[in-house]
Amino acid sequence: MTTRARPWRGDTALGAIAVLGIGLYIVFIIVPLIMSAWKSLTDENPLLAHSDFIGLANYQDMAHDDALISSLGFTLVMAAVVTVAANAAGIGFAMLLNRTSLSFRMMRTVAFLPQVLSGVIVGFVWRYILAQDGILNAVLVSTGLSSRPITWLGSPLLARFSVGLVAAWVLTGFTTVVHLAALQSIPVEMYQAATVDGAGRWQQFRRITLPMLAPGTTIGVTLSLITMLKLYDIIVALTSGGPANSTESTALYIIKLAFTDDRFGYASAVAMLLLAVSAVIALSVTGLLRRREVDL
Amino acid sequence: MTATTVRRRSTAPSIAPAPKPNRRLWVSKGHAIAAGLLTLAFVSPIYFTIVNAFKTQDQIIRDPSAPPAPPTTQNLTDALGRADRIIQVGLANSAVTVLVSVLLIIPLGAALSFWLTRRSARFRRIVLAGFAAGLMIPPAVVLLPTIRILTFLQLDHTYAGLILANVGGGYLSFAVFVYSGFLRAVPSELVEAAAIDGAGLLRTWWTIVMPLLRPATATVAIFLSLWIWNDFMNPQFILGPLRGQTITTGLYVSLGQYTTNYAQLFGVMFLAAVIPVAGYLALQKQFVAGLTTGATK
Repeated sequence: MTTRARPWRGDTALGAIAVLGIGLYIVFIIVPLIMSAWKSLTDENPLLAHSDFIGLANYQDMAHDDALISSLGFTLVMAAVVTVAANAAGIGFAMLLNRTSLSFRMMRTVAFLPQVLSGVIVGFVWRYILAQDGILNAVLVSTGLSSRPITWLGSPLLARFSVGLVAAWVLTGFTTVVHLAALQSIPVEMYQAATVDGAGRWQQFRRITLPMLAPGTTIGVTLSLITMLKLYDIIVALTSGGPANSTESTALYIIKLAFTDDRFGYASAVAMLLLAVSAVIALSVTGLLRRREVDL
Repeated sequence: MTATTVRRRSTAPSIAPAPKPNRRLWVSKGHAIAAGLLTLAFVSPIYFTIVNAFKTQDQIIRDPSAPPAPPTTQNLTDALGRADRIIQVGLANSAVTVLVSVLLIIPLGAALSFWLTRRSARFRRIVLAGFAAGLMIPPAVVLLPTIRILTFLQLDHTYAGLILANVGGGYLSFAVFVYSGFLRAVPSELVEAAAIDGAGLLRTWWTIVMPLLRPATATVAIFLSLWIWNDFMNPQFILGPLRGQTITTGLYVSLGQYTTNYAQLFGVMFLAAVIPVAGYLALQKQFVAGLTTGATK
């Protein structure tokens, strides 16, 4: 056929829009990555007249940077714990809400609401709830569950727990909705066949529900990990990284290095580290989850 | 852990042996009550924000969880009556930023994705892999060089710069990702037929492909609007405090001032949250459809 070989009119116009899109992406993602990689080899500081190439010195410094190690440890532990917690809670919540009556449809609608709010609002609302004289302590003391108010945001350990709790709350809105959708795609016949074969409830959950939820879990886990590795706004509003920098994520640390300490070179090196860590985690986990889907 | 036991007892009631219909009814009721209580606990932070926005400081301190009786709109009028008009200005700035960014990203992302389907499979794979990377790069990693590039373009601390960074950044990745997924389901015969009829590629894209991609456009528009509206880091540093505020940065600044005045705090938060929440409630079907296309296959 000649139609295929003939060059299309308007091909160049569409190509121009496409190339513009790719060009913008190169300017605002690819070039910044290359710039970061290059700056990470310098001692650039906006207060200094010129910067020098210092090789891998910034990367060597990172090994002795306790604040970095602490922030990276916090970020990684949060990413792992919150991802598992938010997806487990999402699966449980989805199974609980998996009915079609009106009241259940309304519950499903509100379950997604935490995802709609900005991290700044989420952080401030929870700061009020978790405050020393906040709502949670009022409830705990009045019900006798705790004899005195708990400083949820006051001690490093509890503050870390609180950040994880709030992040998990937000992400559970998302994981619930994707797992609900996956649940509804499971044919009832599968459970009927399993019942005929004498499978118990636990076996049905373990052998049918959980594997059939795999596509939802892939999305839920991936989004949870990406969110946790870049976590910034919720922490800024909830704890500002305190107390004593205990809830400082690596993203927060990069921002502090760049905009408060003016250490552009070193901030770029830490940014490269966060990028590498994110890439390794995202690629290996999504690869793993996809294989799990294929194995079905 | 009561929720777990109730849930397990009542999964798939239609298949359960259910010795007596009476017991089945009770289990079902228990399930509904457990689901209701858990949902209430889950959304209680949002409940607090709403009820306390309509209460006086005294009412909030007396009982933060009580409904507003009598309700007051004083907090909202106070928030809107601030001398710096931070809510009105923030809402307007955010609306413009969201609107322009999304209106640019949609045609760019859609045209780019369609153009890619006409390229060789190898080229398409490379470009899509490049865009996929944009989905997982933490914004803090590229923020500093992005500001450098905008400074070079003399667009730092401007809305044009903020919008440009939105359009070229990870949001475009999301659009390309969604459109490319939907385009896989568009039969190439449709496009070929248009070619035989003599329509150019640009016209084919606009008159045939774009209408077919409407669900994808809805997903892209909804989620990008929400994310750009809620974005905090980019406006905080690309725009900076001197160039006015978006609703998130304005909220951050004003809430920092109200550490003890809870009435004011909740009034401001309510006004900032009401638009995205109303948008979600109005468009929830499209929200869920967009979220779940990938979850079910």
